[in-house]
Amino acid sequence: MKRWILLAAMALFLSGCADKTSYVKVVDDSIKGDIAVEKISERINSESGLKELQVLGENETDKYMKLRYRIVWFDKDGFEIDSIAKNWTELPVYKNANFTIHIVAPNKNAVDYRLFINK
Amino acid sequence: MKHLTKITLSALLAAGMMSGCADKTERIDLHNDEGAQVMGLDYRDFNQAAAEAVQSMLMSGALDKKSGDRYVLAISRVTNDTMQHIDTDQLIKKIRVELLKSGKVVVTTAVSANGPEDAMSKQARELRNDEEFNQRTVQEKGQMIAPDMSLSGKILQRNVAMDDGKQQVEYYFMLSLTEIKTGLAWWEGETIIGKRGSGKSVSW
Repeated sequence: MKRWILLAAMALFLSGCADKTSYVKVVDDSIKGDIAVEKISERINSESGLKELQVLGENETDKYMKLRYRIVWFDKDGFEIDSIAKNWTELPVYKNANFTIHIVAPNKNAVDYRLFINK
Repeated sequence: MKHLTKITLSALLAAGMMSGCADKTERIDLHNDEGAQVMGLDYRDFNQAAAEAVQSMLMSGALDKKSGDRYVLAISRVTNDTMQHIDTDQLIKKIRVELLKSGKVVVTTAVSANGPEDAMSKQARELRNDEEFNQRTVQEKGQMIAPDMSLSGKILQRNVAMDDGKQQVEYYFMLSLTEIKTGLAWWEGETIIGKRGSGKSVSW
């Protein structure tokens, strides 16, 4: 009986993970070992009502890297919201140092996101 | 006859080679353009400057009206102080579109520093007392909304000659958001884009 409860709990947990549509992804395999995404923070700005996203990462190499990122926002129904942030933005990343990406949603309907980091 | 065939073949071969050498026109992939940078300003630079300005404005809270309504924004003078023939709308239009989508701002086209962007708002009112028009369809007096905020700025270029013969070109995108009631700038932003290349490159 205990085993069944455990399996059911695991299934629920896994289905919960599959539903998550917001994520941060390092696109290029060649830099996956060079940078680490350490913390992803989200909040709704109480003044503007807009969602804010902050990604804290680290360049674990001895080289300065010039990366790029782009973010695609989605509304609560999963429809993409067009915004200028869909274009690649340059991201300077200093050697052996942390970097931060701080983005604000284009409007109040934006609830989910997909952030892509590339070289 | 043999000689003539040789000439014909040579001519065909040459024509084939020449057509192969001609540069093909390609359409730019605006979403992932890996083309070489140019010393002048191109759409990638305007995209970057506009994106940074919009993000900065939205984060600053300058566009958050306490009542939850939208601010009415007028476009003031945006000066092109570069050596290039650029239309500053290349920058401002992108910003306007994003701000409109944000739900924080609505832009008036009836008032701007360079005169109304759309003169029809005023011209349509000249139909008052024109018997050819149904007066119930003509706009009443006092319907237009005056702006709360004004967006102004300047795009500046600075050329620097390097010791090694190269040239450095710096572009400054400087913008201000002013509350018209008080004349105070509630937000200011600057994006710098620098390029370094051959001294022979022309940046105008």
